[in-house]
Order: sequence, then C-alpha cells, then structure tokens
Amino acid sequence: MLNRIFGLETEYGLLVNQDRPDHSPTWFAHKIRDHLFHVQRRGVLDLHHRGHDEPPGNGGFLTNAGRMYLDMGHLEWASPECESLTDVLAADRAGDQLLQDAIQDLDLADTVSLIKNNVDHETDATFGSHENYLVSRRFPFTRRGLGPLVTFLVTRQIFTGAGRVGTAGPQDGWVQRDRLIVPRGATYRHAPQPVLPFQISQRADYIVNDFFEWVQQNRAIVNTRDEPLADPNQYRRIHLLLGDSNMAEVATALKLGTTGLVLQLIEEGHAPLDLEIHEPVEAMQELSQDQERQWIVRLESGRTVSAIDIQEAFLASAQAHYRGQDDETDWVLDQWEAVLRDLRGDYTMLVGRVDWASKLWLLETFREAEQMNWEDPVLKSLDLEYHNLHQGKGLYFGLMEEGKVPRLTTDKAIALLMDHPPRNTRAFGRGELVRHLLACGSHDESADLKPEERFSPSYVINWSIFQLSGHAPFPMPDPFKTYAQEVRAHLQTT
Amino acid sequence: MMNYISIPERREGPGNPMPKAPSPSDEGGGPKRPETGSPDKDNLLKRMRKVDPKQAERYRQRTGE
Repeated sequence: MLNRIFGLETEYGLLVNQDRPDHSPTWFAHKIRDHLFHVQRRGVLDLHHRGHDEPPGNGGFLTNAGRMYLDMGHLEWASPECESLTDVLAADRAGDQLLQDAIQDLDLADTVSLIKNNVDHETDATFGSHENYLVSRRFPFTRRGLGPLVTFLVTRQIFTGAGRVGTAGPQDGWVQRDRLIVPRGATYRHAPQPVLPFQISQRADYIVNDFFEWVQQNRAIVNTRDEPLADPNQYRRIHLLLGDSNMAEVATALKLGTTGLVLQLIEEGHAPLDLEIHEPVEAMQELSQDQERQWIVRLESGRTVSAIDIQEAFLASAQAHYRGQDDETDWVLDQWEAVLRDLRGDYTMLVGRVDWASKLWLLETFREAEQMNWEDPVLKSLDLEYHNLHQGKGLYFGLMEEGKVPRLTTDKAIALLMDHPPRNTRAFGRGELVRHLLACGSHDESADLKPEERFSPSYVINWSIFQLSGHAPFPMPDPFKTYAQEVRAHLQTT
Repeated sequence: MMNYISIPERREGPGNPMPKAPSPSDEGGGPKRPETGSPDKDNLLKRMRKVDPKQAERYRQRTGE
C-alpha cells in the first residue's frame, strides 16, 4: 500500500504433548532456536546484549532480514520491513513455516505442537501479536489525535478477532490519572467476570488501558512507546499489541490493511469525527463478550451505535478518499465492505475469512455431533487445535483442506520469504549483511562454540544500524531505502 | 495550537520489488465469498475427534507481552 511500512511480531505457544514431560516449553523453544541458527544456518545470533532479558545468543536476524528470538520464554518472530500487504502476509507465514519445519527436522512433531494463539485457558497467561506501522513524524500522536484510532481499534475486532472459549480473570493494570500512575483498581471497580461460552477476541480481556507505554501486565489499546527504529525526525512507529494472532489470511490482510488506511485517514485529516467511545477499554471487552453479537457501544456524545456502523463510517471515508489509490487499497476496501455486510447476516458466511467465525462454526459443529454443552473442557482443547501450525492436525488447516479458506499468498511466495527479504525496503540491505556474515562464519555445528567464536568479524546488528568490528557504524535510518549497494560496498572493505 | 517543524514527506520506496505472489486483487488470488453451504463436516469432525481432550490442561505458557 502506498507509502507505508508494515511489520508483524508473533509470540508462539508450545504445547508439549506428554503427560509427564521431561522438558518445559521453554526448553523446547531453545532447542528449536538453536536448530534454526546452528544446524539450518538460517541467520546469525546476536553477539551483544540487546536488553536485560536478551543476552548474546538469545536470537538474531535471519537471511530474510526478520528476527527470530526468545521473549519471556516464547519463540518470537518479527517480520522484516514490508511495503505491501502481499509481502507482510508471506513474511508472517514464513515465520510460522520456519519454526514448524525446524520441529519436523528435529523429529519433534509428535512431541510438541506450535500454537499460534494468544491465551492459555488454564493459567490466564497471554502473549502477543504486535503490529507495526510506520507513519510520518507529523502524525497527531496526542490523546485527541488518536481518538479516531482508538474507536477504530476497539471495533475492528468484529472481523480481526480470533475467538476463544471462555474468559480471562480480572486483570491488574496501571492507569495514568492526571500526573499520577495508579493501580487500575483504585479508579475502576472490577466487576466479576461472567463465565461465557465463547467470545470473539483472544486479547480483549487483557487490554486494561487506552494509552500506555509498557507492554507487559498493562497492555493498552495504543502503545505509546516512542521507538521508531528509523530516523526519529521523519518517522514514528505505531506499535499495537491489542490484536489477536490470525490464522486466516484474509483476516491478517484486513487487519493490517484497514488499520493502515485508518492511519492515513488520521494523518490527512479525513477520519470520521464524533465517534469517540465512552470508556473504550470496557467497550472492547463488552463487544468481545457480547453473546448476541449486537455489538452496541455508547459514544462520548451519549449516542449508541453498533460496531458495524462505526466500521462503515471509517470505510465510507476511506472509499471517498482512497478508492483507486493502488490495487491493494482497492482490495482492502472491497473486502472490508464485504465482511461488514456479511457480519450483519449469518456468521457462517464468514467461515474461512474471519477466525472467530471459523472457530465458532467448528465448535458448534462438534458440540452438535457429540451432544456436548459449552462447559465441556474438550472445547478448550479444540480451541487450541485451531491454531496448531501442523498442517495435518490443525483445525484451520482442516478447513483449508476442505477448500473453505481463501488464500492470498502462495506456498511458493512463503518459501521465498523464508530465505529472502523483500527487495524494496531496508530489509534487503540487512539480508545482504546476514548472508555475508554467514559466509564468513564457522560451519562447525557444535553447540559448544560460543556465538562470538563462530564469526569473524564480530558484529552488532539492530533494525536501523549495524557495525562490524573495526569499522564505523553503518546507519540505515530510512526503512524505505534498500541500502543494498551501500551495504555491499561496505562489506567489501571488511 | 501545535506548530509543526517542516520536514520532508516520506518517500516512495524504490522499485525492483521481490517477485510477487498473486496480488490480492489478481484474478484467482483474492478471496471470494465462500461457496454456499457449510464445509464438509465429516472430515473436520474426524480431525476434531483426534484432538487430545486434555491438551488445554497441559498447555502451560508463560505470560508474554
């Protein structure tokens, strides 16, 4: 899409398929990561401390310029910078496939399952799917300027939600009141969470704030951390962590595409006004948990409208201003309109395109066949299995096998992205660097070698800069630039 | 009222994009309305019945971000 860089970060769950496992999910995560870097030689591990929980060897960049690492015990994949929905979709699936292939290679496919979801039903743990959108530094990043974005994000879950069985317990959090940061419980009374059979979003129960910069335990609708990973004079990175990990390609593309268009509406002053939601955090949970799927919200003006009406207002503005902008924009507008229309009817029309609808249809089909009520714990297991990335087992892939899941990318494009970066962003230059370092590195597969013993010269790689020992830092502040020629020239001097 | 510093517009990305998968807008590549009628339930039920009913109890994950 025009003038936008997209990125997705996914934290995966690992299910150990043994009653009394010898190892924890984190142990398997380390084994899979080591296989990717030491045996398959997909990339180069960090030699430096990136942060307090990212010591040397914790993860690194791959030849496709994305990043694979461990975060809070989870395998995490951060896609390379992508300038089109087509690329970011293939990059997202490439991360899934890299990890699933490593599991197969390790002969662990029956021992562990890679689960691309966001909740643990038993412990209420959650882990994320983070979206990144590059915007101009002039983006009105103020509470008022972000108002339309909050309204859009709270209501987009009706087609981006991945669905889940049950609810999470009350979440702790901190909110800013005037100049003070206080426990959320000090200003809001936690109502006891009702026990519900099914809701449309995995993450809604865990979002406790409208704006905040922390990312754990205090998740906000809009994360306010200012970390552009690019020239801070020109760019800002909108970092969102409220979304669910999507299996459906249409849902993934619509999530990123509609959000990209709404950011453009805000940047250019075309976002619909007077749609600010009263208590958006509470509204987000209420929408997700609405068993009747009426999805009514109260606005600050006192009016009540449906989430579909709100989405249609954003769609109308985007249609008026951006129809014809480029092929991907037109695709997003068409599919956005179609999904909203179908959401007014029978939800089964959305099976294959919207994850919560696919999952709900599967669960209802099973319940009916087995004469089962919603309290049966097997439904939580089926919920997990929807997200299993093993194509022979996962329920999403079962729907695909039945020809009910529209594809937007191809296995060939995914395979290409597993090895190669997009060639029209900064990722291209970083990919050249990683290939060069791999060629210089040791081919000794022994895990005894320390990361710094595998490579000469040693290096530091970050998203917007790298440095090889004995050489000046090489900044890459513009994500729209490939830096490929410059990186090659720089490497020739090393 | 906020005063903005004048800064250059973001630039278009350079050409030479990677070989493309079918664009969402290409014939055959984009989503279509699902065929009327539900997916074949027999195969899916078979797949669902193979799922370990207790696996959700074993899925003990740490909280992430």
